[in-house]
Amino acid sequence: MKKIMVGLKRVVDYNVRIRVKPDGSGVITDGVKMSINPFDEIALEEALRIKERGEAEEVIAVSIGPADAQQQLRTGLAMGADRAILVQTDKLVEPLDAARTLLKLIEKESPELVIVGKQAIDDDNGQTGAMLAALWDRPQGTCVSEVTFADGKATVTREVDSGLETIEVDLPAVLTADLRLNEPRYVKLPDIMKAKRKPLETVSLDDLGIALDPQLEIVKTDPPAQRQKGVMVEDVDGLISALKDKGLL
Amino acid sequence: MTTLTRKEILSRLKDLAGPGGYLEDRVDVEPFEVDFRKLYKGATPLVLRPDSTERISKIMKFCFETGTAVVPAGGNTGYCGGATPDESGEQIVLSLARLNKIRSVDPMNYTLTADAGCTLVQVQEAAEQVQRLFPLSLGAEGSCHLGGNLSTNAGGTAVLRYGNTRDLVLGIEAVLPDGRIVENLKGLRKDNTGYDWKNLFIGAEGTLGIITGAVLKLFPTPRSYGTAMVALRDLDASVELLSMLRERSGDAVTTFELIPRLAMELACRHIDGVKDPLDQPYDWYALMELSCATDEVQTQELLETLLGEAFESEVIQDAALANSGAQREAMWRMRENIPEAQSHEGPSIKHDVSVQVSRMPAFIREATTLVKKLVPGCRVVSYGHLGDGNVHFNLSPSEGDRDPIFLEQAKRVNHAVHELIAQYGGSISAEHGIGRLKRDELAVYKSEAEIQLMRAIKAALDPTGIMNPGKVL
Repeated sequence: MKKIMVGLKRVVDYNVRIRVKPDGSGVITDGVKMSINPFDEIALEEALRIKERGEAEEVIAVSIGPADAQQQLRTGLAMGADRAILVQTDKLVEPLDAARTLLKLIEKESPELVIVGKQAIDDDNGQTGAMLAALWDRPQGTCVSEVTFADGKATVTREVDSGLETIEVDLPAVLTADLRLNEPRYVKLPDIMKAKRKPLETVSLDDLGIALDPQLEIVKTDPPAQRQKGVMVEDVDGLISALKDKGLL
Repeated sequence: MTTLTRKEILSRLKDLAGPGGYLEDRVDVEPFEVDFRKLYKGATPLVLRPDSTERISKIMKFCFETGTAVVPAGGNTGYCGGATPDESGEQIVLSLARLNKIRSVDPMNYTLTADAGCTLVQVQEAAEQVQRLFPLSLGAEGSCHLGGNLSTNAGGTAVLRYGNTRDLVLGIEAVLPDGRIVENLKGLRKDNTGYDWKNLFIGAEGTLGIITGAVLKLFPTPRSYGTAMVALRDLDASVELLSMLRERSGDAVTTFELIPRLAMELACRHIDGVKDPLDQPYDWYALMELSCATDEVQTQELLETLLGEAFESEVIQDAALANSGAQREAMWRMRENIPEAQSHEGPSIKHDVSVQVSRMPAFIREATTLVKKLVPGCRVVSYGHLGDGNVHFNLSPSEGDRDPIFLEQAKRVNHAVHELIAQYGGSISAEHGIGRLKRDELAVYKSEAEIQLMRAIKAALDPTGIMNPGKVL
């Protein structure tokens, strides 16, 4: 393969406790730690391992998001991506628009493989990879936990409800990374210093000829209902009478 | 008062503790008879679990009248046996576990008032809810109690920036050995009205009274962290790097933990999910963290710039930077599980010593040579809070050696290491306290005048010697 393209979405860090804005219009992101979507980080790690095995020549990290998403792309470059492209927009980008945008980049770059996370942990849509494959009219391997390449084909192990499924897809193809595909590396200081010199290109949606076409409207964002505090009962009899009181026995 | 039988005393204590306020079945009591490190196996007929300061007051008054010895207990995570009853079977254990309410939080005054039986995590989370920071943090924070933290003047991982527990307390409520309640929970930062008596109880390990509540200082929550696992050029580089980081970051260094190669290996071997963040092995690492009020991008840039300079000047050989909360947590998990990892390698001979930061590398080198002579083949894990001049200098037996004879050398090794630390002008107990473990040594390494002063304080507050007898003095 000559090129692998990887999608990196900037999301609220997995370890941050999410707070909803008082007016319910969304979640608070101001002053909150942002990171690469963990599944996208796994996607990038896999692309880097494929390249390090000598099976690919170049890894391109791309992101669609605000100017600050440069930070996640810099991290991607420090992890080992060769160059990065930011499609800059401050608007909310839905999966279909994200897929249309990625397709434009594919047309420009002609990668043999595109890897994205199986879902982003902010909206949990899990649609972009599949939509991209459909628009591109190429095969897809979703929820990948293992992948190998031979003769222009990828052999993909998928995590499905009933266990593991192995499929073969022709390249070029879209893969979506699942949790157990790998464990992403740490970025090392010398690589961070090198990454500062790697190219990071910024383009606009206009440049790509994309006009966002939102299909959804977010009506309201609510925090999960607070769980009621449990009570300790003294003994088995206490438990039985408590259950009876609630009409459960 | 007529002399009560032992049975009558126990029965009266149970009444005073109230319903659900005591444990006496062997299976319930046993956990209180053994310390966290399993150094001591004591015995107690009764564990009291009162749920209010008033009940504790009544219990202590009764114990005072009957001459009943009381051992206050928190989360049982201490390293010196300070909360374990002796073997006599006469000492009552008083657990603060049910005194576990956050009493109030005042974000504008930057204070939080809590019961002594709150776990440290509980306190941290209560502060977090109002966007404040309670900076005390240590490995056992999920189970250790605030009361234990105060009683041992715990150190932990943020001393470098925020000080010991003592520095984080504005006032306490305590029950004296005769049952009187003394309280100053005003939450004042300035209050120069006579002796600052709270500081007698902080670090007293329950030998002067029982701390039942405290007002704690809160701090602004840092907006961003910069965390890195750094491979040092050598041991001396640790001091150079710390000094440079403090100077150049506007003293934003909240953590600087020294980690030797062996600790990294053992953590990777024994602790689930821990892996070496760097590609090659190095002799010495530092886990460092900056906490800043600036946004994340600026903090990360500062960290990269400072470490970049350290790299150029060859103070460090490599560094892994956490780029997500998960990676930061993984680095911390590695550090916090060093004692756990070491415990899988057989028993360890431990030291918790401090010297001036600048003398730390020389001490570690000399002490390592010393113990390797005393116990040929032993493996030294010297890790800890370099930023505070505090190192946990611990020995494990040689690989695969399970011979119990190893531990029999503890006394000899402790003595030699403590002699050396005395020569270096250091302390034999930096943050773990004295408890029962180091009582004899305290008498050796403190001056006569200091010991006399301590005894006078003890006699004034606990004239009949019922408070945690056999500990500290």
